[in-house]
Amino acid sequence: MEFTTQLLFAHDQVLLALMIFFIMLGMGASLTIDDFKAVFRQPKGVLIGFVSQFGLMPLFALVLATVLNLHPFFAIALILIGCLPGGTTSNMFTYFSRGSVALSVTMTTASTVMALIMMPILLNLYTSGFIAQISAELQAAGAQGEFVIPTGNIISSLIMVLVPVGLGMIIKRKSPTWAKTAEDTAGFVGLLVIVYLLGTAFVRHGGLFIQTPWQVYAGAVGIGLVGFFFGYWMSRLLGMDPIYQRAISLETGIQNGPLSFAIILLSFAEPMQSPMVWLAILFSTFIVISSSIITLYYRRVGRFDWNVYKNTVIHNRLFGKEFVTHYPPGFLPARLERDPSQGSAVSQRRS
Amino acid sequence: MMLNQPHSKLTHAPERQKNRVYPENVAFLYKQAAEKFGALPAFATRESTLNWKPVSYRELYEQGLNLATGLIELGVQARDHVGLFGDNRFEWILSDCAVQVCGAADVPRGRDITDQELYYIIDHAGIKVTFVETEELQSRVMKMKHRLAKLQTVILLDPKGRTMEGATHLSEVIDMGAKMRLQGDKRAEARMLDIKPDDLFTLIYTSGTTGKPKGVMLTHANMMSQVRNLPGKYDMTDRVISVLPIWHIFERVVEMFTISFGGCTYYSGINTLGDDMRNVEPTFMASAPRLWEKLHERIIKNIKAAHPMRQILFHTAYFLAKQYFISKQFITNQNLKLNHETLWKRLILLPFHVVRWVLVLPWYGFFNAAVLERVRLGAGGSLKETISGGGALPLHIDRFFNYVGIPVLEGYGMTETCPVISFRTADNMVIGTVGPPIAETEVKIVDPETEEVLYPNAGKSYDGKAVRGEIWVKGPQVMKGYYKDTELTSRTIVDGWLRTGDLGMVTHNNSLKILGRSKSTIVLSSGENVEPEPLELRLKESIFIEQCMVVGQDKKFLGALIVPALNEFKQAGFEVQTIDSLATNPDALRIIKEDIRRMISSNNGFKPYEQIRDFRVLPIQFQVGEELTNLFKVKRHVVEKKFNQFIDEIYSKG
Repeated sequence: MEFTTQLLFAHDQVLLALMIFFIMLGMGASLTIDDFKAVFRQPKGVLIGFVSQFGLMPLFALVLATVLNLHPFFAIALILIGCLPGGTTSNMFTYFSRGSVALSVTMTTASTVMALIMMPILLNLYTSGFIAQISAELQAAGAQGEFVIPTGNIISSLIMVLVPVGLGMIIKRKSPTWAKTAEDTAGFVGLLVIVYLLGTAFVRHGGLFIQTPWQVYAGAVGIGLVGFFFGYWMSRLLGMDPIYQRAISLETGIQNGPLSFAIILLSFAEPMQSPMVWLAILFSTFIVISSSIITLYYRRVGRFDWNVYKNTVIHNRLFGKEFVTHYPPGFLPARLERDPSQGSAVSQRRS
Repeated sequence: MMLNQPHSKLTHAPERQKNRVYPENVAFLYKQAAEKFGALPAFATRESTLNWKPVSYRELYEQGLNLATGLIELGVQARDHVGLFGDNRFEWILSDCAVQVCGAADVPRGRDITDQELYYIIDHAGIKVTFVETEELQSRVMKMKHRLAKLQTVILLDPKGRTMEGATHLSEVIDMGAKMRLQGDKRAEARMLDIKPDDLFTLIYTSGTTGKPKGVMLTHANMMSQVRNLPGKYDMTDRVISVLPIWHIFERVVEMFTISFGGCTYYSGINTLGDDMRNVEPTFMASAPRLWEKLHERIIKNIKAAHPMRQILFHTAYFLAKQYFISKQFITNQNLKLNHETLWKRLILLPFHVVRWVLVLPWYGFFNAAVLERVRLGAGGSLKETISGGGALPLHIDRFFNYVGIPVLEGYGMTETCPVISFRTADNMVIGTVGPPIAETEVKIVDPETEEVLYPNAGKSYDGKAVRGEIWVKGPQVMKGYYKDTELTSRTIVDGWLRTGDLGMVTHNNSLKILGRSKSTIVLSSGENVEPEPLELRLKESIFIEQCMVVGQDKKFLGALIVPALNEFKQAGFEVQTIDSLATNPDALRIIKEDIRRMISSNNGFKPYEQIRDFRVLPIQFQVGEELTNLFKVKRHVVEKKFNQFIDEIYSKG
């Protein structure tokens, strides 16, 4: 499929840039230096997260793009999304799915920093086939030279995006109340802009929704779902406690959408830009819906585990660190018997 | 077939849950809980914000057995009445456990009891052994001991308190019992086996202004029916905050209910409640309207002080939550139905609500998560539900908490029904009602004058739904009677039906709506019961007050509607022709105000909550047949309705 129209006008791009700025500011406003240090406190969780975010996700993106036989423009966008670090949205969903918010925040922080190195490497690695395809098409059309992934631009756009994050962190240090406001506003702004983009796309290019082949939809929806599924099972098979399973699952599936807009706008030119942005819009829309559904599901299945976790943690909070909660035999299922506090209190660990 | 008298909807006891105990009496409740929940914390006492002391189920029962043996040694017989005067604390529960194990019943009251009541209760209930919580209570009881022939033993609960000469300390009785049990004393265990379901587990004297407190006899069967019939799924991971006075049967039922599922009860206090809610993160609690009014006040204050952007976010969130909630209630048939809803009306409105619900859903989802969750965290964030009882919850408070997602379920009950008659449940959330009757409980609506059954009555349209009348209740929670007052008992309970004295109706979706009292007792929002007649009699002793009515149902304080005595004012030199002009005469108002102050003050034995804080002078006199009965008694609800505006004015300042 060919995009004949330009998807974003100049003022949309400004709007998008503002949204990225606000969201990244909000992300920074929710972080403290301590969140970076926490990486070393939960090395196992962070490591599993790292493997699923930078190991599995880009690979799945490649597989999905190949299996669905996506046009190279869409394929590159999908792989780009697969290589993204986690965003703050995952922290909120993790909170409501009764997962470990601490781990989610730590993973978001760690992956955002790691993305500086990992993204360029992974993009070059996984997109090479599609790049060759584009180059061949270009040459067939009589153009000169070869198409390459603009690695330098990607790194510089990543760094540019990290500026408002740093700014947010400074706000947090200076005024926690302002930081809270920035955090709340960011989510709202993000939601408004996504709806605005969808709305304008619908008004201006109504046919776009029908023109877009189903494979593109499948890719946009599928990448998140695959992330949730494998994030969950990998952490479960590796023996993580239930609250971490839910956190890793959501963190793997939910990517930092605004970051993809920033990279696409700053690093890719038309005719690539419009289809790539379109896929990013679709991903950002569907990920909110699928995360909501997954969150409701996790919330339900994780209720008992969470109640046990919460009660044990509060016992330790109020009765002292050494307090051991003895549930009668047979009350706790095997997955919790070993440690009802699920890694939060040393005293609750049973040998 | 009794076609004219269909039975109201009666539901069976809910299915038994796996991880709970369902004993036959309160003593076995403590015993079985100890066996089942063992080392889990049963009660926790606050020492500082983040330092609480837990006592396990096993310890509680062990100590209870020791104390019970001590009590038996002190002469407590099965079915004796044991005094228990004090407020919420672990030692209270321990004493209750011991009294139950002895097969006796306790007679509880709080620290704020007056000397008069204390004397009356100890004497009337024939108390031989009594617990007192504090040194202050101890000295009050010891002072009157010589006048109480039966009273032998006074036991002080406060672990840090010093006993007076002639009194005993709790720890001494426990130690004595422990020693005897070591030597093989099994009397306590034997006592438990002898408890009958119809035996009293408690005798509660309800406060009244005049006259004498009434002793409500509640049996083991009463309490156990409540424990088994309170809806909701709870287990050993639940946390319950206790803040209402334990001697009120409502709080006590919730604590017994908590023992039955192995949760832990945390003793908080009104001053530390805010902090404790955040640290304990309770999942369930008994609450009263005042608590929610206070929390509401605090939340609104915080929002007003917040950043403008956050205020906008909150108001948007609240608006969306309201739309979402109202449409959800309509779709699930839980809107307040005072009139019959015709099918076509529903068919027209339903699509509107479905569309609105769908449109609001995603926005509500976001704002609920980002904004309202923070409001919920003010109440700990983990509340599955909380029952509000002991008075009517103001509608705006009720709506506020249910919209923001803190499920405040309003309930209805009275000491005489141990206490719960009905309350809203998660699936029956009709705001503005107190929900359907709980399991095994029947409710009927009866004309207070003619005693004709109005609901359920097949002769009336829709079985008599939405018809106003007095609420009568029948069920396993109805008390055995008033102690030593068969006359009052037989007037209150007729053929197993208890006349509540409350007016109400059953809505078209089978929820009970309370519409005031047919009895004149005023229940203040603090939970205090006030009999208005003696206050009115007292007020009428003023020569300037011809007629009056005291008001204040569900309010924070009492107010009065006054009809001034025109002739007296004329004689006092006022140049007035009508009552009307007195209402605006500042001198007249000042005289009335002074007289009210003089008549009802703490100097002449009235309690602080009995004082009239504000009043309005009515423009007309009460007329026989209109505001007065043929016997010149004030028809309270007629006056309330007619001068509604005046009453609202009294309370408009909050």
